[in-house]
Order: sequence, then structure tokens, then C-alpha cells
Amino acid sequence: MAQSSLDVLLKGSSGRNTRGLLRVIILCTIAAAAVASRLFSVIRFESIIHEFDPWFNFRATKYLIENGFYSFWDWFDDRTWHPLGRVTGGTLYPGLMVTSGVIYHILRFLTIPVDIRNVCVLLAPGFSGLTALAMYFLTCEMSTSPSAGLLAAAFMGITPGYISRSVAGSYDNEAIAIFLLVFTFFLWIKAVKNGSIMWGALTALFYGYMVSAWGGYVFITNLIPLHVFVLICMGRYSTRVYISYTTWYALGTLGSMQIPFVGFLPIRNSDHMSALGIFGLLQLVAFAEFVRAYLPGKQFQKLLTAMVLLTVGIAFSGLILLSVTGVIAPWSGRFYSLWDTGYAKVHIPIIASVSEHQPTAWPAFFFDLNFLIWLFPAGVFMCFQKLKDEHVFVVIYSVLASYFAGVMVRLMLTLTPIVCVAAALALSAILDNFLVASSPTPESKAKAATEDPKSLRSTRNPVVGIYSYFSKSVVACSVTLYLLLFVAHCTWVTSNAYSSPSVVLASKLPDGSQFIIDDYREAYYWLRQNTPDNAKIMSWWDYGYQIGGMADRPTLVDNNTWNNTHIATVGKAMSSREEVSYPILRQHDVDYVLVVFGGLLGYSGDDLNKFLWMVRIAEGIWPDEVKERDFFTARGEYRVDEEATPAMKNSLMYKMSYHNYQNLFPPGQAMDRVRGTKLPKESPQLNTLEEAFTSENWIVRLYKVKDLDNLGRDHSNAVAFDKGLKRKRASKKKGPRVLRTE
Amino acid sequence: MKPWTALFLLLSVVSGVLSAQSTPDKFARYQSLSRSGPVDLDSASYEELTSEPRDYFAVVILTATDARFGCLLCRDFEPEWDLIARSWNKGTKPDDLKVVYGTLDFDNGKAVFQKLMLQTAPVLLVFPPTIGPFAKVEGDPLRFDFTGPISADQIYSWIERQLPDGPKPPLVRPINYMRIVTTITILMASVTVTAVLYPYVLPIVQNRNLWAAISLIAILLFTSGQMFNHIRKVPYVAGDGRGGISYFAGGFQNQFGMETQIVAAIYAVLSFATIALALKVPRMEDVKGQQLAVLIWAAVLFGTYSFLLSVFKAKNGGYPFYLPPF
Repeated sequence: MAQSSLDVLLKGSSGRNTRGLLRVIILCTIAAAAVASRLFSVIRFESIIHEFDPWFNFRATKYLIENGFYSFWDWFDDRTWHPLGRVTGGTLYPGLMVTSGVIYHILRFLTIPVDIRNVCVLLAPGFSGLTALAMYFLTCEMSTSPSAGLLAAAFMGITPGYISRSVAGSYDNEAIAIFLLVFTFFLWIKAVKNGSIMWGALTALFYGYMVSAWGGYVFITNLIPLHVFVLICMGRYSTRVYISYTTWYALGTLGSMQIPFVGFLPIRNSDHMSALGIFGLLQLVAFAEFVRAYLPGKQFQKLLTAMVLLTVGIAFSGLILLSVTGVIAPWSGRFYSLWDTGYAKVHIPIIASVSEHQPTAWPAFFFDLNFLIWLFPAGVFMCFQKLKDEHVFVVIYSVLASYFAGVMVRLMLTLTPIVCVAAALALSAILDNFLVASSPTPESKAKAATEDPKSLRSTRNPVVGIYSYFSKSVVACSVTLYLLLFVAHCTWVTSNAYSSPSVVLASKLPDGSQFIIDDYREAYYWLRQNTPDNAKIMSWWDYGYQIGGMADRPTLVDNNTWNNTHIATVGKAMSSREEVSYPILRQHDVDYVLVVFGGLLGYSGDDLNKFLWMVRIAEGIWPDEVKERDFFTARGEYRVDEEATPAMKNSLMYKMSYHNYQNLFPPGQAMDRVRGTKLPKESPQLNTLEEAFTSENWIVRLYKVKDLDNLGRDHSNAVAFDKGLKRKRASKKKGPRVLRTE
Repeated sequence: MKPWTALFLLLSVVSGVLSAQSTPDKFARYQSLSRSGPVDLDSASYEELTSEPRDYFAVVILTATDARFGCLLCRDFEPEWDLIARSWNKGTKPDDLKVVYGTLDFDNGKAVFQKLMLQTAPVLLVFPPTIGPFAKVEGDPLRFDFTGPISADQIYSWIERQLPDGPKPPLVRPINYMRIVTTITILMASVTVTAVLYPYVLPIVQNRNLWAAISLIAILLFTSGQMFNHIRKVPYVAGDGRGGISYFAGGFQNQFGMETQIVAAIYAVLSFATIALALKVPRMEDVKGQQLAVLIWAAVLFGTYSFLLSVFKAKNGGYPFYLPPF
């Protein structure tokens, strides 16, 4: 009978095996979907590294492959930050490069001939498959429902909030860090549940890996102590917590100190002090618990409480003393600006200038998370139902991460995992109730036990079940609709918003066909092929990594913004008059200057739109020589047309952007298509630089810095003289018209 | 022509002689007038203070603090300006470095505002000395335009840069003893209250419903862009140009204060419907009632989500998805 053979498959031990197999198949499918949805850019364009930071990571990985691990560890890079150089080996998170290096060598060992570029391009999608898996494990720890883990894995696999940082080619630290984040949290929950040293040590191991991979490890460093602290405050101290936390803290701190870039920060920096403080507090609480077990009598306990409070007070004031005297470094600026939201704008404009450090408007939340965003609070609410130790973790993580994501767009990435967990909890609670085939009968009603009286008011009555098939089908259909909509939304967002390499731009021609704008690579390859190997290129810091990676030429500043003064120097050179800029260029051995100009094409991310940040950063160092006010007209407008301020018109950036641009148009009709304004008739006059190369769509413009004049004149005189000669010759043809002009 | 020149020469000689005598007095007089804060000027004293020759720096702020003018910046900056003048006058400084701080309010100095053709306030002017060791060739005042809220420290460092090199008194913010005392009192009071009310407060603090409510409200606020409002100081609502109110800002990167509240409410309704479907409905024992509840909540969920999608579509023009009703 078919019925009984199906029963064999679905019931008993073979039923369990069937479900296990199904689960494995589903997880593999989810992982495959996660990888596949990240391949848009490879299919549309090519297997190429995206954006800015990935180009540095790619270059570092190539260095690692070519020179081996130890020279990578000691790498001093003299081709960036000219003339300072950068101790690259000691100032990066090596986890990403080492990971792809290991994968590369394993593939080579298996005699699979693979290019390192393809390993780097496909690393992020590969790891996102693993993240979905880690998500499954994490969510399974939170819920007894069999569907919650699978739902969470599926959400995590395709939600745009995570895809935004992990499409193919986006070879950045976050590519592996989110997997490590989720997996570390899974191990931590496991450790707290079991109170086992093994799980605690594993947590520390993955925490160490995380530290080596991403600066966001500080999130874990503070979240786990906070979890423990809240547990203690709730009176939930137990030996399980003690064992797992002390194991994690001791091993994890030792592990994190092995990374040269982190070094002694875990014991010297305020960002890490909460972990140390909770470690001390835990010892005190453990001691108090121990004594309490042996000493009866209320007086002793009171004494004990007083002692604990006193010790905590002394330790706290000691901490304050140490930070005041400077033994412990204060909060790092980036971290501090999360709490005091106006801090960065005043004190560290370079942080405030980055677009991903801006606060998040609500559409961005919905864009990145779709319907998960409203399932999220419901899921958090459900955590209060049982409120075990792991649920406390979910609640803390949710509140904290929502705050961070609200302050900085970039931190949406840390919010996404917990949103997926909570949303999956909420949705699985619905599905588990509405997808049961059998309806409740009076017997089952009697059987339903009353729940924990401490629980939420809404869940005090026993669960009965859903009676009618009609209500089941209504809810099931609408949920299915929402899920389908979610998939469509994710695919649409990924394909439209997150799959552009930004090195290669795409636009549509009137007939609908795709038009590839490849100006960046055109210009970088021009540099590579037409300039000497050590020609120094000056550009705004955004393009430093790309020049290093694609053109392989030394740069003055790059996206590793470690030296604000050096960046301000470049900002000053760009925003000053030529007479001021030229000595700066000479002093820094600059051979070529690169500017990005979008006026012809309407490409809005160009240098003139970023120009005010250059001015601001330069003003931070030379407030007397560069003034932001000078670049605004009397009415406070930022203009580039005829009414632009003299400071604007004479700045090097303005001149380089519009040099010869007017010649493209009929006289007097030059248009800037980004700023939508008409330009002055006359093209600005450049004296100390000469145009070396301009890409097809004028996006990248390269200027060669002139050498000193052979006759010892200054450049403006020399240019005027050259021009004068030409004019004379032209006038000769027409014959003498004017003999002398007064 | 000639007589005029002679007259002019004569005048200038006379005034030079006069001023050579009067300048030290002028400085001493204003110095004594000022006591600790800035000198309050009117049109006449402003002209006198800034008239040439002078052997001191005159730092004058032209402001409009009266509520009629609605100059928020002026009023915000007033205590900061006091602080600067006070710090300078009380601090130790080189003997030959003479600086007078003055305030000219629009009410007292309309003529000066007209003469300088000032459209905005406040404006800070620094008049360098025309005689003495720090005299500058061109006696034109240096001008600082206020573009936004600014702290005393930033202004003070700007003023310092206009003065000659050398030691200058630091900017001293007086310690707010009142605030410290208040904080300590409040702290102690709250400790006492907690200790006394402990048995009554404990069940509230341990109440799970309360914590659930707090967490949910926090999450809803943060995910609906409240921090963006706080940081960017967005307007609460704006007009739509036709006399009505526009609740939703155009564009993906903009939002209004009220808009975020609407969105938070939408999220709250959706979440609550989800909670009701997942937790409450399965606990209902009445068959008919349960059926009705399921239908109502499912309809609420569907309708609200549809509305949310339509709002999002309005914000993001190219968004292709929607649900039927809206």
C-alpha cells in the first residue's frame, strides 16, 4: 500500500533520516541560491574586482602569493603614501588575504589551475553560502521549531542587506567577516548553553579569526560582555556562564593580540575595556557565590554584597584614573562617533566625508530588508516568551544593532543577521500553527498544558490550534505571497543596485542596448603603459587603491586614511591657486595629477562634487590658507559657472576639470551636465600642468606636472610668452594693424 | 583745491596730535568700561573705538539679540562671546598686547549696520592697531562670517590667529557648580527612592512585559530612521507648495519627522498583526471567534503591507512591486 510505504518514510527512525536528508538538500539549495544571486556582475560585466578597497586587498593577496607569508607579514610598501610609505603588513587585517591564499594553494595542490583573481572574485559569494549555513545553526539554537533555522538561512542567503557587501568581485573584509560573526555567535550561544570549555575555546578560535579579518570585531568584543552583564543583572549567573566567558575571554584576547595591527589594543584601549571589566566582575560574582554557599547568615551576605560593590567601585575609579592619566587610550574616534553623533563632523571630517558613514533614512531599511523589517519586532517579542539565556542575547543584539544601523548606513551589515533570526522566529511561529494538517479536538485541548506563569501576558493561555482549514489557507496563501514578493524584491535590488562594479559603468543607449563606460581602466592602463615605473600620481584618496592596483604606480594618498595631514596636503594642493600648488607638487615629486570629471557624461560621483570635502579637510590643517567660505558665493551657493568665486575659479581642481572643456562646444554653450549649469566662455588657463591624457568620456583626466622652466621664468610668464609668440605670428599674416597700444 | 588740502592737512595734524594723547586714554577707558565681559557699544562709541589711530586690537561683534529679529544664532552665541571676553580680560597676557572686546547690538547701532551694509548678523570684526608695535599697514578690519552654530573655542582660535604670536590666555569655561550639585542631589535622591521603594519597584523592573515594550519601541524608533532625524535635524513636515501638507519627502535619501512616525506606526501595526496571528489566535478556544480573528488580522496585515509598499514606491520611483489595494 502506498499509504504505508509513505508512513515508513515519514515515521520512526527512517522518518528522521528522511527529514535529515531533506534538510541537507534544502540547505544546499539555499547555499546555491545565495551564491547564484551574487553573480549578476560577473555575468553582466566580467570577473573583475569592484570598487576601491577590494583593489588593495587584491594587490595585497597577489603580494602574499608571490612573496610568501613571512614577507607579507613584514611588508613595507613604498609605493603608497609617497614619500612616507606604509607599514602595510602591520596595518591591515590579514584574514581575508590569507584565506584566499590558502584556498588558492589548496586548489593548486589539487591540480586545479585557477587564477588568483577568480579566487578573489568568487570568495564573497562562496562565503555567503557558508553564512547561510551558520545562520541555520544559530537560529536552531534559538527555537525548537524545525522551520525557523531553514527560514533564517534562506533569508540570510538572499537579503540585500548582506548582498550589498558580498557580490562577486566585492573582495572586501566583510566578505568573510559576516560568516565569522554569525558563526562566532553560534558558538558562543552553544558555549553558554552547555557551559563547556570546548565550545568556549572554539568561540575564542573563531573570534581570533574574526579579529584577523575585520575591524568590526569590536562589536563581538562588546556584545558578549554585555550579554553576560545583563545575565548577571537578571540574577542568572551560573557556572555555565562563568566557564564559557572566562574561556572565551582568556583565549580570545590572547588570540587577537597575535595580529600585529591589533597588538596590545585589547588591554590598552577603551573599546575593549568592557570585556576586561566583565571578566573582573565575573570573578567577583563567582567568588561571592562560592562564599555564599559556605556561609549562612544574613550578616555575612550583606557584608559580601557590600564588599562586591566596594570592589567594583574601586575598580571602576581605577579605570577612570588610568584613562585620565593616559595609560588606557581613549575611545577611538570611529567608535566614539557612534555615540556622540555630532563628533565626527566637527573633529574628524575624513570620517564624516565617507558616504557609508551617513545616518540611515527609513527607505534604506526597507530597501535592504524588505518585509523582514516588520517581522523583526515580532520576532524579538517572541523571544520574551521563554526568555532563556540565548533569547536575552537576541534582544540585546537587536536593540544595539538597530541603533548602530540607524546611525551609520554601513552598520546595516551587522543588523542583518539578527533581523534574519528574529524574522525567521516570527514567521516560523505562524507557519507552525497554520500549516498543521490536523485540527484540534476536545481531547487535545485538555492535554495542552498551561505555560510558564512568568511569561508574557499574551501567552498565558494554552495553545489550542487552528480549527478551520479556511483560516489556515488564507494565512498560508498570504505568507506565501509575501515570501514570493521578498524573493522578487531581493533579486530586483541585487540586480539594480548592488551589482555594479563601479570601475566599469553601464548605461543604456536610446535603443535599449547596453553601453559600457570603461574610462577608469582606460586611464589606468594608459598610466601603466606610458609612464615610468615610479612616476608618482597624485589624486584624491578615493582613487589611491585603484591606481595602485590597476596602474601599478606610486600614489600620495589612498583609501587607507591613516595620515590626515598628508591627505590635507593633497586637499590643499587641489584647492589652492597654481602658484601655491606647484611648490607642493614639486616637493612631493608628483609627476602626474589625476582628476575625475563627470561633466560631459553626467557622472555625479566626480571630484568637483567631492571638492568641498577636500577644502574642509585642508582647512582643518591650514585654516588660514584654505577657507571653505571662499568657495561659496556671497549668497551661500556652491557654483561653478560664471558667478563662481575667485577662489573656486583659480583652484587647481576647477582648472583641471574644465581645462579645454569649452572647446567641445560651440562658443558660449559649454554645459556641465552634472551640476546642470552653463560654463564661462573662456576655458581656464593652466600654467604649471599640461594635459597628458583624457579618457574617452572625459571621466578621467591626467595632467603632467611641468618641469621647471629652462630659462628660469615662472610658468605663467613662459606660457604667456609662448602664447604671445603665436599671436604675433597670427597677426603677421593679417598684416600690421596696430603698431602700439597704450 | 589748495585750501581744502591745507585744511585737511591741518585737521589731520590736529587730530593726530589729539589722538596721540587720547589713544592711551581711549584704551584705558574702554578697558575700565568692560570690567570683565565685552563692552556694550552704541553707534558713537563704536565709531570712537574703531577710529584711527589706535594702538590696540578692537574685536567687535555686530549682533541682533532682540527676540524681534529672530536671530537664533545671535542669541546662542551671546554667552559664548561673553566667555571669550571674560577669559581674555581675566587671563594673564603680555602687557603690550592690548585687546578690547565689544558688542554692538542692532538696537543701539542701526547706523553702523547701515554703513557697513550688513544684511546678516552676527558678524565678527577684528580691527588691528594702526600704531604701536603690532601696527598693520592696512587698517582694514578682518571679518568673520558666521555660517552656522559655532562654539567659543572655534571662534577663539580664529581670533588668536589674527593676533600676533606669543602667549595668550586660554579659554576658560567656568565650572558649573550648580550642575554638579544638582547631579549629585538627583543621584542621591534616586538612590534613596530606589532603596525605599525597592519592594514596590522590583516587580516593575522584573516585569517582562515592560521590557518587551521598551525593546520593541526602541527597535521601531531606530528602524524607522529616528536617528537620521536626530542627526540631520530634518523638518517635522513641509508644505507641498499648494497650501497643503506633504507628509512624505520626495527622494530616497530624505524624510520628514512625521513621515518616520507614520512609518514606525505602520511597522508597529504589521508586527502586532504578526504577533496576534502567531501567538494569540492559536490560543483562542472559540471556533467562530478564531475564524473571525484570523480573517481580520490577515486583512489588516495585507492592507497595511500594501500601503507600506505604495509609500515606498512613492519614495523610490523605479520600484516595480506593489500589492493590489493601494
